[in-house]
Amino acid sequence: MRFEFLSEAEVKQVHQATLAILNQIGIHTTSPRLKKLLVNNGCKEQGDRIVFPPEVVEKALSTAPKTFKVYGRDDSHMLEFGKNKAYAQTCVGTPSIMDLDSGEKRDVTLKDLEDYVKLADALEYIHVISPIFPRDVPQEIIVSAETVAMLRNTTKPLRICAESSHEMKYIVDILAAVAGGKEALRQKPLAYIEVSPLSPLEYGFDPAEALIDIVEAGLPLGVIPCPMMGSTGPMTLIGCVAQHNAEILAGVVASQLLKPGSPVIMSPRVTFMDMRSGVGLWAMPEMGTAAAASIEMARYYGIPSTATGYSGAAKSADAQSGYEHLYNALMPALIGTDVLAAAGSLDNVLTSCFAMLVMDNELSSVVQRTIQGVEVTTERLAVDVIAEVIESHGNFLAHKHTRKYLRAGELWDPPLGDRQTFEKWALKGEKIEKKAREKAKELLSNHQVEPLSAGVDAELELILKRAREEAEIF
Amino acid sequence: MSSFNDLAESVITGNFGKVKEITQEMIDKGIGPLEIINDGLIAGMNVVGVRFKAEDMFVPEVMMSAKAMAGGMELVKPLIADTDMPSVGTVVLGTVKGDLHDIGKSLVAMILESGGFKVVNLGTDIAPEGFVKAIREHKPQIVGMSALLTTTMLNMKATIELLKEEGLRDQVKVIVGGAPVSQSFADEIGADGYGSDAMVAKDLCFKLVGKAS
Repeated sequence: MRFEFLSEAEVKQVHQATLAILNQIGIHTTSPRLKKLLVNNGCKEQGDRIVFPPEVVEKALSTAPKTFKVYGRDDSHMLEFGKNKAYAQTCVGTPSIMDLDSGEKRDVTLKDLEDYVKLADALEYIHVISPIFPRDVPQEIIVSAETVAMLRNTTKPLRICAESSHEMKYIVDILAAVAGGKEALRQKPLAYIEVSPLSPLEYGFDPAEALIDIVEAGLPLGVIPCPMMGSTGPMTLIGCVAQHNAEILAGVVASQLLKPGSPVIMSPRVTFMDMRSGVGLWAMPEMGTAAAASIEMARYYGIPSTATGYSGAAKSADAQSGYEHLYNALMPALIGTDVLAAAGSLDNVLTSCFAMLVMDNELSSVVQRTIQGVEVTTERLAVDVIAEVIESHGNFLAHKHTRKYLRAGELWDPPLGDRQTFEKWALKGEKIEKKAREKAKELLSNHQVEPLSAGVDAELELILKRAREEAEIF
Repeated sequence: MSSFNDLAESVITGNFGKVKEITQEMIDKGIGPLEIINDGLIAGMNVVGVRFKAEDMFVPEVMMSAKAMAGGMELVKPLIADTDMPSVGTVVLGTVKGDLHDIGKSLVAMILESGGFKVVNLGTDIAPEGFVKAIREHKPQIVGMSALLTTTMLNMKATIELLKEEGLRDQVKVIVGGAPVSQSFADEIGADGYGSDAMVAKDLCFKLVGKAS
């Protein structure tokens, strides 16, 4: 399936603009390691900035791998990056959650993180797990604690955001303990780790240092700045896409200069601002259209990508969140991307919601179904079948072609949505959010996650203890 | 000659050059600096405030108006004693330690300035000690802290703790804001207020200094 948002000529224009931004404006960083890496490998210092000559960029683009795999604890959940399969990923870092019983918004706890991951583990069309943000965990070891909680409650692959660099060593140790050693982890990474430089074009100390640690650990790196149209990037969608593309490529180039051929993911997130209030929006249509344009750039480079699909400004799992999420997910999915993030999110990715995760599971199912496309064969075109039915004065219901393809899955089966007659529906009169909430409760009480072995679990506890001690939390 | 109305109108349309030009013209004609401020510059900005609240003006337009007003202020400032400068109050603003996100806090600074507050914008990545130092130096009524990252927002709490240790907590009101911050978080860390957007922050500051916005 191949859709275009930008024409081929427009893609090249954006690429040229990107090269110009990198070559003339470049980036700023406070990380001595990143600066040294870039300057020692063909980039140039220009005042307090580092600029990227086009040949350095082009060379890095040619060494970035087009495909690689990320694994879960269970191999059946393996992700193939570069195949544009539009996997769904839970939203990272939301500080709030909608309480499953009361439906009220409140702070996230560690128990919520565990439950949320368990629910995501149970949902068939949610493929990648990222942590929501628990408040009752010491800040100094937050990502380590989140990673352990995720590994205990899912066998699916993880996506981790490294907002600081000081925890990287524990995160790698935790993942290695579960994978069976650092070499085993490199062979079959259990997570990809993303860093978020600041827009415009600023590689702050933490994301820059973490970037280097991730590549050195041999784990797939994601680069995910989040500019806002008109405030931290140009007002024009395509201008923001170009600046953003340059910001991301700066990280891609760094990864390839450090280790040519190391797995890297472009994770564009062009967001925008409500210019009447200053509130940051992850709503539609700008989020979806900008993602489509950005993802087309990743497709042009042949570099695996992710986009924020399942996001919107709606505050509850309702009609608005349904249409926002579907729009923003489908746009980049149609261009071709590997992961659609933010599943289960509400309120511009600030809140997570069990019911919304169940709804996004449904949307993910239909998005994946859509991008599968159709197979065009003589048998599927069914000219003979049409002739036979007409000749027999019968209908298609009675033809074996119908039974065959029905059983082969020609019709999509909604995991959640209602399709009953009005009368049957009216007996309960249930709206989608209630139904989704019930399903979440049912899955949470019945779903069993394959536990970690006692030995590995104890090892994780030891790593967390060490992290706490080194951070002087007792 | 230009009228106060022309000056106010130039503030409203965000015409930086025109505001400076009219202000200078008025100074040269011997019009009192306080009149220029109150009847021209602030009068214009008050209209901007009303229109912004009514969603008739966009953030970047308000920003231009604020900039234009500041251009005029700069010219009249040397003509009056600091103590005579009309000010609703002083606010020290900064993004907390470990966080380089600037845009939301700067937006709040601009809206507060346009409302007549004196704003000391410390910038980003401000350690608790930085806030303490600024409070001693500028003696604000209000300290505002911003964070975008869930991993840095807890530095707001650390800052409040240090204010207590340094015996400054009773001298200032503390407000917090930023995408991951909530009223419940503000309550939990012992802040005096939370603004969900820049306009709410402005209303909150007026309330905290005991004046009507």
